[in-house]
Amino acid sequence: MKRGDVIIIGLVVVIALVFLVPRWLDTSEKNHNETRVAKITVDGKLYKTVKLTAEEQTFEVKTDHGTNTLKVHDHGIEMTDADCPDKVCLSFGFVERNGGTIVCLPHKLMVEIVDTAAGEGDGVDGVVK
Amino acid sequence: MESMASLNEASNRALRKTVIIAIFAAVSVVLSIVESIIPIAAAGPPGAKLGLANIMVLTCLYFLPARDTLVMVLLKTLLTAFIFGTFSSFLFSIMGALFSFVAMWFLLLVGRNKLSMISISVIGGIMHNLGQVCAAAFYFSASQIFYYFPPLMLTGVATGIAVGIAVRYLIPALTKLSLFEGFLQRS
Repeated sequence: MKRGDVIIIGLVVVIALVFLVPRWLDTSEKNHNETRVAKITVDGKLYKTVKLTAEEQTFEVKTDHGTNTLKVHDHGIEMTDADCPDKVCLSFGFVERNGGTIVCLPHKLMVEIVDTAAGEGDGVDGVVK
Repeated sequence: MESMASLNEASNRALRKTVIIAIFAAVSVVLSIVESIIPIAAAGPPGAKLGLANIMVLTCLYFLPARDTLVMVLLKTLLTAFIFGTFSSFLFSIMGALFSFVAMWFLLLVGRNKLSMISISVIGGIMHNLGQVCAAAFYFSASQIFYYFPPLMLTGVATGIAVGIAVRYLIPALTKLSLFEGFLQRS
């Protein structure tokens, strides 16, 4: 390793941490959540909006591209099964925060958590469109 | 007779170059398949991968000019897409591959004396992720996807270092082969 390597790698880690540390520290969003919904879009068009309840509910999103199974529980949502080739969507895990997303690229499917009450400007780490 | 010999030499070189591109592309495809069998993706953030194919891209960039490496990158991305995926996943991988290629080529051009293969492969890996995240954000027109980029930077550092070390062992080993004779434009 040369000096330049240390600088570049250090810089990358610092930039990543600048974004990540506030995220790790901030757990406040988890508690007040009755108004959250998950917007499910396929091909850029709204497919369904689901309320994020504490109770468990499982449903399937069947489109021409394939089938994805989603499970709502504990005020969050999770992709539990998909018949896409890469399965990257399953690795998103359980999302419960505002602005949390699950995408399944091969199926052109996106799940996005939005707070219907708070309107705009809530998520601190959210990137403004 | 002189010119005949040099003509032979030139065509021999072109042939060897083609062979190198073909072998490297084939090996990167195999590495991508091996990588898909290793279940590391489940542990990391979404989209994280080892990036083993980057070993071949970086090594190719070391031996061959940028133009030939670009051919190799396109070839390996096409082949991998034929084996694994769909057209949409091809769009994402080509974006990642091109971002990564341009970044590594630029760093090798500018910072050869100041940087080693390790940081070049780290940047290459991260740019691959960035290219894919950009493609996804554009495709879904949803910039929230950038939320997943910072964790990918951290995994990119780890896998990039591993890839860089592999390249450092691979280059001296390949240099001993007669196939690579005359391609050492770099010290």
